[in-house]
Amino acid sequence: MNVIPVPKPRQSAMNPDRPVNALLQVQIQHLRNAERNLPLRYRTEIYANAIRTEGEAARYIRAVTEAIHQAHADAAAQRAIPSIRRKRGIEIAAAADKPIRHATAAKTKAAKRQRKT
Amino acid sequence: MSTGLDQLKHIVVLMMENRSFDHMLGSLKAIDSRIDGVTDQLSNPDTTGASVKPQPLAEFQGQLNPDPDHHFPAVDLQIFGGDASPTRAPNMHGFVKSYFSQRRDVEHSQKIMYYFKQSDLPVLSTLALEFALFNRWFASIPGPTICNRAFAHYGTSFGRVDMNPFDIIEPFKSIYTRLINATPKHTAKVYYYDTTSSTMEVVNLLQNQPELFGTYKQFLSDCDKGLLPEYSFVEPNYNDHETDSGEEVASDQHPDHDVQAGELLIAEVYMRIKRNPKMWASTALLVVYDEHGGIYDHVVPPPCTPDKFTALANNTGTGMEFKFDRLGVRVPAILISPWIPKGTVVDRVFDHASIPATITKFFLGDYSPRSPREINADVFIEPNSGAVDPNRNLLSLLTMRNDCPEFGVQD
Repeated sequence: MNVIPVPKPRQSAMNPDRPVNALLQVQIQHLRNAERNLPLRYRTEIYANAIRTEGEAARYIRAVTEAIHQAHADAAAQRAIPSIRRKRGIEIAAAADKPIRHATAAKTKAAKRQRKT
Repeated sequence: MSTGLDQLKHIVVLMMENRSFDHMLGSLKAIDSRIDGVTDQLSNPDTTGASVKPQPLAEFQGQLNPDPDHHFPAVDLQIFGGDASPTRAPNMHGFVKSYFSQRRDVEHSQKIMYYFKQSDLPVLSTLALEFALFNRWFASIPGPTICNRAFAHYGTSFGRVDMNPFDIIEPFKSIYTRLINATPKHTAKVYYYDTTSSTMEVVNLLQNQPELFGTYKQFLSDCDKGLLPEYSFVEPNYNDHETDSGEEVASDQHPDHDVQAGELLIAEVYMRIKRNPKMWASTALLVVYDEHGGIYDHVVPPPCTPDKFTALANNTGTGMEFKFDRLGVRVPAILISPWIPKGTVVDRVFDHASIPATITKFFLGDYSPRSPREINADVFIEPNSGAVDPNRNLLSLLTMRNDCPEFGVQD
């Protein structure tokens, strides 16, 4: 089968200094809205109003997107804490059972020793 | 008799940015007369009254600068030619006038009529000729990106015709929520390019359900491993940026981003599905553009069933309210699967509300509530439950094609 060649974009296609287009401006605006809803510790220190180029936009977009993911991941981890505690409670209960089993085993071993002697 | 429809397990939608049908695929009329592309009879008046014909002079980058206006009032001008009377009729005669208003340069304004030669776009042209090309796929709204993409995610834009953040209005739910909350549970993912490009669905999906998202790298890996969800929505790279592994050129094809970078993206998505025989046999890929980006197309957008919402006169920018009762300008749309007969041309009317309509009907069957626009939108893949109308089933082959094209990157 013939493979259809697809040309690569020219080197000049890449231009992080290109002024942001209307779509990127809107994306930044939406991310600013989302950022305002994040707890303070997740907010970036980037002044979004000063963004002029795609390269600057890219840095902001990445920072807020990652912050949103991080905030949700941390919140999910927080929500999981009570269940971990519950699990610990079970582990503690299981551990509390162990000495009894050990004791039983110990008694059995002691009984065996007594029988031998 | 079993057709390709019975094999279908995954649907992938790749939504590109801001190019009209005539601009990207209009040249194909010369190859196949069934394709409703560019002819010698088409023209638009410029601001001097001269007639401007479409010409195959589109360039990959640097030509449509400034970005052609495609907000609601500008698109109204493009469709109605500047007629604001109550008895006006759409004529697609306002594209050059609209572009002129941005730079006040008559010669430059004519570039809005330019289209690509078939040889310029080897990927899109080949896919269009090899699989199912939609002659009548329109943007959902004669307006910009965000509200049009909302139709692809929700089947409505909740009354918005602009780029502002919108709220989801109950009872309507995104296609992803419908799928993952269903019983039995279905799988769905939005793959953005990477966190530096992110998504255009920030305020609702990313902010509230970030777990829905994966990266394009993950998409490629999921194709290789056969782990694609039942429904995948893929977003292109929206900006030029550096990564640890090098430079990433924007691949969304939004003017003034490089069109060839978008060609590479489309080729890679296609080839990655195709290279996994299991995925290739069980996946349908829709390549579609969110809206026309202010660029010329000759087909008048048809009226449609009004939505539940109305955009008020002071929100449209035209001084007239909009009941979502007319579709936006026509965009390129191609459905790809080895079960589709070569050279299929579809004349039925679709818009982006057809995406959640199709996914919902295919995976969930009857589902309520959905917006009036979505309920009335046609589906591009028939539900495979019950009797299938053979005249509507695009994945109609009884045996899988083995003559599908392959693409390779040319250095």
